[in-house]
Amino acid sequence: MSRAASRAPGANKRLAEDGGASQSFLSSSLRKLSLQQSQQHDPQSASRPADSSSDICNVCKSSRYLNPNMRFLVNPECYHKMCESCVDRIFTHGPAPCPIAGCNKTLRKAKFRTQTFEDLKIEREVDIRRRVAKAMNKEESDFERLIDYNNYLETVEEITWNLILRIDVDETERKLRLWEDAQKAELNPNATFRRIADQPEASQLSEGSHVVLKKGGTQRKALAASSGNTPDPFAVDESGKRDTGFVFQGLKKRKAPPAEKPFDPFDGWSIEPQQYTLQEVHDYKWLTAYDSDPAYYVGGWDTRDYYSRMMEEAFGGMCVFLEDEKVRPLGSGSVEIGTQNAASVAQGMKDVVMDDVF
Amino acid sequence: MGVSPAVSPHLMVPGAKAPPNASVNAKTLAILNNSRATTPGEGTADLAEMMNKDVREQFVEGKFLGSGTYATVYAGHFRADPTKLVAIKKMRILTDYKDGITMDSYREMKFLQELTLHPNIVRLHAVFTSKDQNLNLVLEHLPKGDLEKLWRDSSISYTREDIKAWSAMICQAVWFCHENYVLHRDIKSNNVLIAADNTLRLADFGLARSFSEPGRPMTCNVITRFYRPPELLLGATHYGGCVDVWSTACVMAELAARAFFLVSETDIQHLSVIAELFGIPTEADWPGVSKLRHWEVAFGSAPPKRPQPLSHWRQRLPLMGDDGIDLLRAMMTMNPSKRLTARDVLKHPYWTNLPRPTKKENLPHGGDEDAEKKKAIDDLKRRGGDLETGRSDKVARKLDFGVK
Repeated sequence: MSRAASRAPGANKRLAEDGGASQSFLSSSLRKLSLQQSQQHDPQSASRPADSSSDICNVCKSSRYLNPNMRFLVNPECYHKMCESCVDRIFTHGPAPCPIAGCNKTLRKAKFRTQTFEDLKIEREVDIRRRVAKAMNKEESDFERLIDYNNYLETVEEITWNLILRIDVDETERKLRLWEDAQKAELNPNATFRRIADQPEASQLSEGSHVVLKKGGTQRKALAASSGNTPDPFAVDESGKRDTGFVFQGLKKRKAPPAEKPFDPFDGWSIEPQQYTLQEVHDYKWLTAYDSDPAYYVGGWDTRDYYSRMMEEAFGGMCVFLEDEKVRPLGSGSVEIGTQNAASVAQGMKDVVMDDVF
Repeated sequence: MGVSPAVSPHLMVPGAKAPPNASVNAKTLAILNNSRATTPGEGTADLAEMMNKDVREQFVEGKFLGSGTYATVYAGHFRADPTKLVAIKKMRILTDYKDGITMDSYREMKFLQELTLHPNIVRLHAVFTSKDQNLNLVLEHLPKGDLEKLWRDSSISYTREDIKAWSAMICQAVWFCHENYVLHRDIKSNNVLIAADNTLRLADFGLARSFSEPGRPMTCNVITRFYRPPELLLGATHYGGCVDVWSTACVMAELAARAFFLVSETDIQHLSVIAELFGIPTEADWPGVSKLRHWEVAFGSAPPKRPQPLSHWRQRLPLMGDDGIDLLRAMMTMNPSKRLTARDVLKHPYWTNLPRPTKKENLPHGGDEDAEKKKAIDDLKRRGGDLETGRSDKVARKLDFGVK
């Protein structure tokens, strides 16, 4: 126990230093990459791990030194780090505002998780990238030309960076949502989405009645409403097409898979006699005698089986034509073998005298 | 096609390209197998030996897979294409069949050559003899085990859709046999194998025979007991496809219940197990039943018994649904002439009713997945550059401290 306690802070400190270094490097590279410098204030600064503060909970100030089992959690809403006991204490009874001063986000306990990356900026970027990649999941084969695909990829990257650097977040979010919904609607045209039914409510929401409790559809409505004079997401414009958020040139229209055929218990096979018709009863005295013989009918022996077999065997070789053999795909075997077989059969049949079959 | 594909005079067996000949002789078998033989019979003994050698050399025999009463099975592959796997079934020579081919290997060859076209029947690639006239059947390699292993494996869970898909495949195989006038006579979940693409293959035609002509009695001592229909247990010697339909229904019920459906210790006891479920047949619903050979022994003095009600079936086979139970009961009618034929079975609404059977690529399977996983783990454990087998495998590795 004491060993763990003495070792843990050291190890973490080293990690924190590493994280801090990589973070500063990354953020400088981010600035180089982005053409527009984000002017917004950075809420991350509060939770940016200082050298030694990463082991101290920012909310209750308890330190890992005293409690080696302490776990830190973050919420992807604002990425402020706090210890597990604080999360339990504050959020057990439902959503509550983030306890970090200056952060007004409403957080829910369910969303808290341990961070994967030491650097919370990277954590956030990975989350955003994951989300964007989920919504923008087109492939090269979905586009007509390579340049269209490249343009699409560029748009995707632009959306990603906009979200990461907090440029035009509301507008980008709105478009992304519209795109997600449009994709969903395209995949499943018969489904009705909850938002359509709730539509009038959404328009009634004003800036003042902005609800803090955000979940699912409400969250989306609130966002749509709060982003000012955004058009109704499901409004249909003059051309009769729904706003899909983004329009990509050269994007192929998704073809619906062909409807499934009803299940065929015979799996496409059919065996019907074609050169002859079977009668219900073929009246031969010696044969019908068996019909009334209990030794036969009790066991399920059926004269019909017998004479259908006799007919089949009498006519079986007829109407087998070389041409048919070539065309018919034979089981899972290749056509080549089939024709070979047919050819050898034909060769063998050459010297058969067909004059007096009967 | 005017006639059934199976009776058309060509064969899909890659090794055996000439039509099958009825003469059963190990020497002529070699001729059967050879593509150059246009008319069987013109080959001399030496030529036959040569042809047989040709076929034999198409295949490479691998490791031992298992053995049964009549045969030993080895893994193998085509010499030309090592990715194409086969199973080579070496038939045992039985002492009382010294100078011929055993009945079951003859039957297996004869019927598989005809029926092997159907996707739900095991494929026979070729037949050849090895030294001391030992028969080898080259069958398709089926790595995923059989249906019995599948329902016994409690780690595999399956649904009513899966049961429907499997049942449909078995019924198609049985139907195809019957359309070509072949009785399988040993349908059991043990004999239904699973191919690599999850299709079921009906195998083991060692007891198969063609439908009987009138005046020729058939043995009633066939079909594994759990799957044997009442008319055979009562000693009927003239029967038809109905015996296979009963066995098929047993397999389907077994899949749904994940246990053998009708279990007994002896043949007589099996009759009473059947009677427990279906009641004791009367002259009214099965005319002539009391004239069967074993009737007196089995039911002669028994008081009449009613069949179990529908609720019993529902409780026992909840996965079949009402239409499935209706089908099973029609397939297991005591009176064989009132039982559904294999064709009628496939026409039953159960197949087309919802839920739709699972597609074969989505069917659950056990098979060699575990073996693959184990192999992957072993592969990871091995050091880079090491090969799987080698003389030094069992020897402790020399420690390498990186000191040069």
